[in-house]
Amino acid sequence: MAIVKMSNFSLFAFDSKREDLLHELQEFKYVHFSDIEMDDSLKEIGLTDVKVPESLVAIDEDISKVKYGMDLLGKYYTKETGLKAMKKGLETFEFKELEEKALKIDYHSIYNQLKELNTEKEVLRQEISKLNTAISELNPWVKLDSPISELDSFEQSEIVLGTIPKKLTQKLQGELTDTKYTYFEVLSESKDDSCVLAMTSKGEEELLKDILRNNSFSRVKLTGVKTPSEEISDYESRIKRLKEEVTSKENDIKILANNLPDLEVEYEYLLNKKLRFAASEKFVKTDNVTLIKGYFPTDMKEEFTNAISTTLNDYYYLEVEEADKEDANTPILLKNSKFVQSFQSLTGMYALPHYNEIDPTPLLAPFYLIFFGMMVADLGYGLLMLVGTIWALKTLNLSDQQRSSIRFFYYLSFSTIFWGLVFGSFLGGIIPLPALINPAEQYNELLVISIIFGIVHIFFALGVKAYILIRDGQPLNALFDVGFWYMALTGGIVYLIAMVMTVPPFLKTIGFAVMVIGMAGIILTGGRDANSIGGKAAGGLYSLYGISSYVGDFVSYSRLMALGLSGGFIASAINMMVDMLVAKGIIGILFGIVVFLVGQAFNIFLSLLGAYVHTIRLTYVEFFGKFYSGGGKEFKQFRNKPKYINIK
Amino acid sequence: MNFTEFLSSYGGVVFAGLGAALAVILSGFGSAIGVGLVGQAASGLMIEEPQKFGKSLVLQLLPGTQGLYGFVIGLLVLGQLDAGMGLAQGMYIFAACLPIGLVGWVSAIAQGKTAAAGIAILAKNEEHSTKGIIYAVMVETYALLAFVISLILVNAVAF
Repeated sequence: MAIVKMSNFSLFAFDSKREDLLHELQEFKYVHFSDIEMDDSLKEIGLTDVKVPESLVAIDEDISKVKYGMDLLGKYYTKETGLKAMKKGLETFEFKELEEKALKIDYHSIYNQLKELNTEKEVLRQEISKLNTAISELNPWVKLDSPISELDSFEQSEIVLGTIPKKLTQKLQGELTDTKYTYFEVLSESKDDSCVLAMTSKGEEELLKDILRNNSFSRVKLTGVKTPSEEISDYESRIKRLKEEVTSKENDIKILANNLPDLEVEYEYLLNKKLRFAASEKFVKTDNVTLIKGYFPTDMKEEFTNAISTTLNDYYYLEVEEADKEDANTPILLKNSKFVQSFQSLTGMYALPHYNEIDPTPLLAPFYLIFFGMMVADLGYGLLMLVGTIWALKTLNLSDQQRSSIRFFYYLSFSTIFWGLVFGSFLGGIIPLPALINPAEQYNELLVISIIFGIVHIFFALGVKAYILIRDGQPLNALFDVGFWYMALTGGIVYLIAMVMTVPPFLKTIGFAVMVIGMAGIILTGGRDANSIGGKAAGGLYSLYGISSYVGDFVSYSRLMALGLSGGFIASAINMMVDMLVAKGIIGILFGIVVFLVGQAFNIFLSLLGAYVHTIRLTYVEFFGKFYSGGGKEFKQFRNKPKYINIK
Repeated sequence: MNFTEFLSSYGGVVFAGLGAALAVILSGFGSAIGVGLVGQAASGLMIEEPQKFGKSLVLQLLPGTQGLYGFVIGLLVLGQLDAGMGLAQGMYIFAACLPIGLVGWVSAIAQGKTAAAGIAILAKNEEHSTKGIIYAVMVETYALLAFVISLILVNAVAF
């Protein structure tokens, strides 16, 4: 149970059969390859790394083509959303099925069509934006009602167009009063500049130019033949035509959008294919023979050897042995009962165990269940969770991972219902229920219960540590690191209780004595790894100082009470507001219903989120801190994790 | 009525009311700033990856709880308010409100910063975004402790 037993293998096979072999193993999927590091001893016997750069580049190119198509079509493809899509879920394929389907899909031609259409569309877009620029250049000159081509064709007079800074316009006009044959007009004004037209006789041209130059004039040359407004309307009609063309290209692309699901299938297929090439780079080979090393679950030995012998016939050499307990490279695969399995993601999120450790999931699951329920603690919320999760499990087509996380909340709902009954809380007290403990009044008792849970949780964790030490043949260490702590903590707790409550006086004495013995033991043994006497003493004292962190740990469990209380109070505050609204008549009742639904939904979300993360914290910090280190490598199945489909 | 008379006859309810107000105001300040910080960080992410909205919302919500704790304490004090309450009781309730008010304020801002950093995890490595949530929850521990103490104090001594 728990951590799956692994075997490691070394396989010698002909290099020519490598791809077939990998293909077969990918279908089998439970293989984890080790990266064989090239060193001098391997080089000396003539081994080289397997390199397949060309195949990798080629497949990356194919993948990026498919991705291009997916990105482009994604904008036009209307996916089903909402309930219907959830019920349908992702399409499920057998591995063989996926390959058969993927090989039939002609994604190159789809890509080529799309690429062509999209490029044409982009060209049209650029043209449109060029025309738009031209229009915006002409816009300030629309008042000019003579054709642009005629501006330069006068014999006796000269016409100039250009811009000057707005604040100089007055000054310029003043200076121009001296001229005789010059006409000046402001055609339009923008934020900073004025667009001006000046007309003069050839004789006065130089004078005008001087005056203009002194006023920061910059000349503008208009392009086009007709009047600016005519030119603009020409441009606009051309833009309209181009836009129609763009839409027609888009429609052509839309027609292809139905290919999106196919492309997604192809994408998953190609990623798996790429994984095969990437895996072979971990191997080494001679001219003809490849050496492959890796791991597979021991109980699948038969399937594994079958997969090999079907592709290689008898032309291979295989060595298999049980993985060494202490080998840190052994990949970790967890296997648990259905109930425990839904808590596995919590272990994974912290760190997988080493191969020689124990799987903490079955140990954390019952505590997680109790603590989560205590933090949410509402009969109504629990029932909603129960109904919701059952509905989801029965009707929706979910991937294994989704199914397991919904089952997680399904189990938690029972604990929530249980604690809801204990606290007599239904949707924040909307229906009065008899309560075993009334959290609003008996919070002191609740606090004590929380701390007791904490003590049990931490003592259990210490017990696990003792078990691991004894299992590894270190019973003395178990006594030093756990036994003495049990004594110090239990004795201390009894002693403290005896101080605040009336109990037979001998209990106080016994408690005190046990505590002192425990503490003395910790001081004497806590620093046993140090080399010098001084070091041992200091180490022992420092270990005893660790008792302060135990106090902190116990206090931390007060969150069990605090989260339950705050959730309950917020729910009852919502109900209070609803009561006030309902008292105001019909409209009040309508608003009341809205406030009730939105408020309670918000509080459910908040309570669940709070309970989820705070229980995780208790598990990771207070519980795991005592016995679990983790850090094992994940067993990577020889499959790419699919995103758009499910693969069996 | 001089000031001493006013203080002895109405001081109680004034202080108690002030306490309730501070519990709500200060923790509300903190939560508003914290939630705002995360919201800003998350908005940047939405430009590129709008499908991560749900997960970013969880991170944004985390520093919001302090305001709710303050609100609960305020509500509890509200139940005890009475125009004729003694000065000592009023000042006691005032003191009882301080833990959640002050710790709620500061911890919500600290939690907001942590959660905003968690948005970066969400952006670059979505699988591990829960770890960002857990970091932020570490900060919340202290708000919870303050809430527990405020809660006990408000109800502990009967006048």
